[in-house]
Order: sequence, then C-alpha cells, then structure tokens
Amino acid sequence: MDYIDPHIHMVSRTTDDYETLARMGCIAMSEPAFWAGFDRGSVESFRDYFRQLTEFEPKRAAQFGIQHYTWLCINAKEAENVSLSREVIAMIPEFLSASNVLGIGEIGLNKNTKNESTIFLEHVDLAVRYGQQILIHTPHLEDKYQGTKMIVDMLVHDTRVDRSRVLVDHVEEHTIQEVLDQGFWAGMTLYPVTKCTPARAADMIERFGPERLMANSAGDWGPSKPTAIPDLIMELKRRGHSRQLIRKIVCENPCEFFSQSKNFKAPSALS
Amino acid sequence: MSTDPKPAARRADKILAEEFFLARSKILDLAATLDRLERGQGSVDELQQRLLLQQGMEILLDDQSDKARRVQLLMSRPYDPDWRKNYGLH
Repeated sequence: MDYIDPHIHMVSRTTDDYETLARMGCIAMSEPAFWAGFDRGSVESFRDYFRQLTEFEPKRAAQFGIQHYTWLCINAKEAENVSLSREVIAMIPEFLSASNVLGIGEIGLNKNTKNESTIFLEHVDLAVRYGQQILIHTPHLEDKYQGTKMIVDMLVHDTRVDRSRVLVDHVEEHTIQEVLDQGFWAGMTLYPVTKCTPARAADMIERFGPERLMANSAGDWGPSKPTAIPDLIMELKRRGHSRQLIRKIVCENPCEFFSQSKNFKAPSALS
Repeated sequence: MSTDPKPAARRADKILAEEFFLARSKILDLAATLDRLERGQGSVDELQQRLLLQQGMEILLDDQSDKARRVQLLMSRPYDPDWRKNYGLH
C-alpha cells in the first residue's frame, strides 16, 4: 500500500534506506529539522544543515521516486542556548521559499525548561508572521505529559495560531485526547523501544478514530525503524480493519494536512 | 469534531486467542526482570523506579479500565497549570 511518512529524519539514514522505503510503498515523506547527535556551535552549522534538508535530501529521495519535504527550526535540545537559537530563528526566513519547505518544525520542548519555552514561543511567532504551518515535538518518557500540556497551553493562548495547521507529534495514550480535543492534528511515532508500538498505535486509532490522526517512524539516531509504518499497516490489516481506514491514516490524512502548505504537491498516486 | 466513525470493536475472545502468547511472553519478561533484581547485589526496594514498577503492576491487576493511559500518567512528571507564572512567561 502506498503511504506517506510525515516525520522521518533521513539525514541519519542511508541511501539504501530510501530504496527500502520506496519498495515498501513510501511515496512521500517530510523531514523536520532536529538534533544532529551533538550540539552545533554556530548559526553557520544550521545554515549548512538547512541546505542539506532543502537541496541534498530531496535529490537523494527523488532517485527512488519519493517526494521529500522538510520543516525548519532549531530543535528543543539546542534551544537551551537562547542566543544561538535567536540567530537561527533570524536566519530561517532565508530558506522559507525553498520548494520543499512545509513550515516550522519540529519545535517543542525537551526537558520543559524556561529557555525551551521561550524559544518555542519565538518559533511560533515566526511561523505566524510568515504564514507557516507548524510541526511540534513533544518530550519523551516522564517529561511527555507535562511538556505536552505546556505546549498546548502556549498554543491556545496565542489566538493567532490556526490549530488546523498544527501537527503535534509523538502523542501517546495520556496525551492524544487533549491534542485532538483542542483541534490540533496528532501524530503517533512508532518506535521499537520507547514511544509507541504499532499495536498501541492501532489501539489509539480504534479508540479515537482516524480523524486528524497520522503515524510516523521518526527514523532518528536511536534504535528506530524507518519501515515502522508498513508494520502499522500490517497490524491494522491483521485486526481486520478496512483498506479505506488504513489509507486514511497513512496517506490521506498526511496529504490533507500538508496540502495547507503551498509547497506541497499531492503525489500522483493520490490525485 | 470527528466525522469519521471509529472502527468496530473486535470480539474479545478473538483478541485473547491472537494475543495470548505475546502477553504471556511479556509477563515472563517482567517476572524474569524481578527475579534478576532479587538476585542482584544490594536492595532496590526503596528506590523510586522500583516503587513505580510496583505501582504499575498494581494498575494492571486492578478492576479499572484505561490501564495504558493510567500507567503512562503514573510514570509522568506532574503538570503545574501555573508554570508560565513560575517561569515569568506571559
């Protein structure tokens, strides 16, 4: 089945992974800016990284017929460095006209600190001023509940934010309800160790329905699995769910959400 | 508001038949972890992580529903609605 991975970090993946994803049915993906595995030392490092996301990765993906989109920001881990974060935020508009940029992301919180919150708010302001969609990273493990509540609190307090243009990722059983109830899109991140398994993601689809819900693989530096979405498709098929339901989660919902960005072109398989 | 119906629930006896061996394996993994802790040098009985495991297992055994969400909340830092004020953010 064709699918879209709305959150996968291909800079940490090999070209072989692109080929495998294409063989598994991946027709488009979006890659939020994230941590490099180490803290970067200057704004120029981010400029190079944004070039990688807007120039190199789309070409690597295109070799296998995959559309590559991206989101730009300084991630929550490095947002603890407020002065560097502000330099990066000031530089981001240089790249917003690149043809594969969908918006600002993945912004969010990591350890739920004051500095992270300050930079989150400044990213949101940037997105609003430039009419960009927003992709949100919520913290992991014991920080997730508190951090997700803080993020939702910041977003709903800013009346300029159009909630239908915000995707809150890494939702789990204790955060999904509030995200959906507040009118945001929600993404379930499938991970072999922490975060959410395909079985638990299928449970959430059964409990909350498919509206404004999608799934992603993250595919990051940790022990993640870039083919996790096909695993979810298999799990949903095993449980007897309809092709229509599965397609809505893995294809139509990402397409509908991304289509709010002028740069997104629906894959021909969907049009 | 949702316009898409939630998928119909499957039969419980079918779910049990399909998932019994997986659940059995997970219980054995947990049991073996507890045995390993007991064989280890020193005691962890008073450590917060051990207490959280105990409380998590109690949620599994109680007669209330929504167990996954409740375990998640047990393992989570609390949310303070006044956090913005505490951080001096407006």
